[in-house]
Amino acid sequence: MSTREIFDSRIESGLLLLPTLLVSIVFLYYPTALAVRTSFFDSSFGQADEFVGLKNYLTLLTDSGYHSSLLLSVLFAAVVVIGVIAVSLYLTFLIHEVDTGQGLYLISVIWPYALPPAVGALVFLFIAHPTLGVLTGPIEALGVDVDWFNNGPQAFVVVALAAIWKQIGYNVIFMIAAMNNIPDTLTETAALDGVSGVRRLVSVYVPIMTPTLFFLVIINTIYAFFGTFAFVDLLTSGGPSNATNILIFDLYREGFSFFNFGVASTKSVVLFLVVGVLMLVQFRVTDKYSYYGG
Amino acid sequence: MVQLLQYAKRQANALRSDQTTETTHDARPGTHLQLWFLVLLVVFPIVVAVIVSTKETGVVTSLGDLLPGSYAVENYREALVDYRFGRFMWNSLAMSLVIVVGKLIVSVFAAMAIVYYRIPYKDLVFLFILFTLLLPVPVRFIPLFQLMNDLGWSNTILAITVPYIASATTVFILRQHFLSIPTSIVETAKLDGVGPLRFMLFVLLPMSKGVLVGVSIIMFVYAWNQYLWPLIVIDSEANQVAQVGLQLLQGDVQGGQLSWSLVMAGSTLTLLPPLLLMIVFRKPLLETFSIQQK
Amino acid sequence: MTTVTLQNLQKTFGDVVAVNGIDLEIKDGEFLVIVGPSGCGKSTTLRLLAGLEATTDGRIEMGGQDVTGVEPKDRNVAMVFQNYALYPHMTGRRNITFGMKSSGDFTDAEIESRVEDAAETLDIEDLLGRKPEAMSGGERQRVALGRAIVRDPDAFLMDEPLSNLDAKLRIQMRAELARLHSALETTTVYVTHDQTEAMTLGERVVVMNDGQIMQVDEPQMLYDFPANRFVAEFIGDPAMNMIPVDIEGGHAVHDAFTLPLPSVEDPPATERNGTGDTQIGDTRTAILGIRPEDFRLSGTQADDGLPTIDAEVNVREPLGDSLLLHCSIGSTSCNIQAEPRTEVRAGETVSVTYDPARLHLFDTETGDAFYHSESHLSSGEQVVSQVSK
Repeated sequence: MSTREIFDSRIESGLLLLPTLLVSIVFLYYPTALAVRTSFFDSSFGQADEFVGLKNYLTLLTDSGYHSSLLLSVLFAAVVVIGVIAVSLYLTFLIHEVDTGQGLYLISVIWPYALPPAVGALVFLFIAHPTLGVLTGPIEALGVDVDWFNNGPQAFVVVALAAIWKQIGYNVIFMIAAMNNIPDTLTETAALDGVSGVRRLVSVYVPIMTPTLFFLVIINTIYAFFGTFAFVDLLTSGGPSNATNILIFDLYREGFSFFNFGVASTKSVVLFLVVGVLMLVQFRVTDKYSYYGG
Repeated sequence: MVQLLQYAKRQANALRSDQTTETTHDARPGTHLQLWFLVLLVVFPIVVAVIVSTKETGVVTSLGDLLPGSYAVENYREALVDYRFGRFMWNSLAMSLVIVVGKLIVSVFAAMAIVYYRIPYKDLVFLFILFTLLLPVPVRFIPLFQLMNDLGWSNTILAITVPYIASATTVFILRQHFLSIPTSIVETAKLDGVGPLRFMLFVLLPMSKGVLVGVSIIMFVYAWNQYLWPLIVIDSEANQVAQVGLQLLQGDVQGGQLSWSLVMAGSTLTLLPPLLLMIVFRKPLLETFSIQQK
Repeated sequence: MTTVTLQNLQKTFGDVVAVNGIDLEIKDGEFLVIVGPSGCGKSTTLRLLAGLEATTDGRIEMGGQDVTGVEPKDRNVAMVFQNYALYPHMTGRRNITFGMKSSGDFTDAEIESRVEDAAETLDIEDLLGRKPEAMSGGERQRVALGRAIVRDPDAFLMDEPLSNLDAKLRIQMRAELARLHSALETTTVYVTHDQTEAMTLGERVVVMNDGQIMQVDEPQMLYDFPANRFVAEFIGDPAMNMIPVDIEGGHAVHDAFTLPLPSVEDPPATERNGTGDTQIGDTRTAILGIRPEDFRLSGTQADDGLPTIDAEVNVREPLGDSLLLHCSIGSTSCNIQAEPRTEVRAGETVSVTYDPARLHLFDTETGDAFYHSESHLSSGEQVVSQVSK
């Protein structure tokens, strides 16, 4: 590594790093620090900030509504992460098996990555609208009453489905790269041994792809917690009766509908901690089970 | 079974002629069918959106209504002009371009410093930059909002561009790529006494073309699809971006003032730029993603 | 033009000592090869010379000047890498001229004429307009050489430049390099792990192991008079046989044979006619070294009255121009080279004799050579065995 360091002017390297570091500090680290600070205050528009110590945290600790939101978010994340990975994996596998038309299939599956979340949400809303939706008719014909404007669990499912649908593209990009890296000889050995189809996917491919898969679990988790805001905002606004009030939406509402900046900051911090802990756990598990260099 | 027969047939043919058998295996027709079905599921929502954008009122309650209408031009014109979607798109474009160019320059500088300069505590610096990945918008947007107010940047293009200029992912990707350039080339440059500017312009950048394009696409899509932050910090309609503009359109629909076909027209418009870019530049894009394998 | 001196050169990476005290004088215009197994420190030594690594200790002088801390670009050396290191996005011509244009020491006209000269010398005129991806391995290597010679440096440093080429091409390029050297007469330091390359190219060869120099000498001297076991086994293919023996009364004694050692009482490499006491001592253990090609199947030539040895053939390897027999002599395994079409089969026992001028003795512990029979036979004395087999 050190042999690449062909320049050693401190001034030059400082200048090169300056913009990135400056923006990082001013617009990323500093606001975060402020958020942590504000979490210890009672803050709102038109009021002076009042130091309240851990009061906000205690409030959250005893707020059953917040607990629901927390559990909801974790459940939501689990559903989305598992859903995305399972569907993407199977899709990638199918594409990998096919000789002709790989390019076309790939594009058709990956494109939702470019899809603006707002557009995705709106389109989903339109299709599944309880009264106006295109798919509503056929689904009701199957015996399911489409009523997710009022039915909590159904709303949860709709938002989860929308979130999964959008994220498949991003996952497939990584999975196809990883699957293409598996030596052909392994596929041939498996074929000669008579291991085919899904069994090959699960017993041979997946173990070799574990580094990529675990990377994607982490990415998808971050997405489930932070990247699904648009879906909640446009589809359900957190309802009905908070059935889809995941932490990120709850936080937004606290800050920009109720203007409780103090509590909102506290919620930011908690959200950050929750995701941070989850990622740490995932890292540990990843390291234990990864097979590098298949 | 079919596969086995095919395999045997190929082997027999190979023995007869002097060809070596191909190692790619033909996929069963079932695979293609499954793929088509899944692809249809993924593509369906958008096809619906585009079709609806061509209709008069956008009331589509049954599958039978899914025939393209002839109102395309009308709808799009209305959206663009009457509802100022043209303006929204322009704002999005301006924002995205500034972010892409800015991020590119800043991140190339940072990655070059990290890879090619001898810096004390270099690993810490890199970690410092990477750590910002854990500080997404939702965690800091409240103090960030206040900061924008204090700086007087609220509701300006500065607010929606500058905070994005530091990019941990871009620096990471560029660094990985720079590390893959053979050391001997770097050392040859050093032996020749090539200075940092010449090195960057004539060696580094020309050898990174694929990655630079890929990274630009990723950044453009990311910038174009931003929803939450512009929602918060831009309050005048004239300055708003397309994503949030969509939400405004949707708001009007709920109020019974707008037809869905207009919303779909807006959605399709918003979808086009990132989608087109992704299709045109899919090769460099996929190349860049496989670099991200850990 | 330039002599190069290395004094007590040391280089440590963390806990690993890569170069452990190298002293070397390279003469002006010499083609010096540094050879050794992977990890012996030869590449590191070269990179220290180039200035790509900083020394941990020691001195480097070029042309009488101390260049130990000097930047690579100021040392006026050119380096050729194993993987050619051509900028993939530049044409052959631009690859060659890029360095010169960057340093700003040359006028455009000068650069032009130098490129023309180099192109002619190396026959790469039609490669100038092409990009590396459109060139074969050999062509890329020649462009890399072109880049090195246009700078007219004080020394060429080459790091295994031929290792990436296929066998035939390698032999061709070896000849080219030799031709180039006689034309340009620039001091050249060449690193390789291939002892054949070292022997054919080097005016002098440095054998390195474990960060230290094992021996520096002309190729034939390394072959005939290896200074220690390492050099003896490294130089020459197939490798020299190492047989544990006891030295008793001027003979090398083994379970399966006893060989007389010519003039054992004289110290090696001097011509003394005196009859001093056995320098070797009365009885000691040692390692006897004989090369496979210094054995002969007896019966094929006049025997000179030398003792013969019975060897049981285990495996025979026909190499085309010779026949390599893997044998067992007593309990020791041994390789013997025979004439190509000899009728010998595995499992047979053959009778071999040897060249008495080609015996070597190495110390069992240190591996240092303390006896080469050739230096004791310079007066042409015959050896008649006192002990019959």
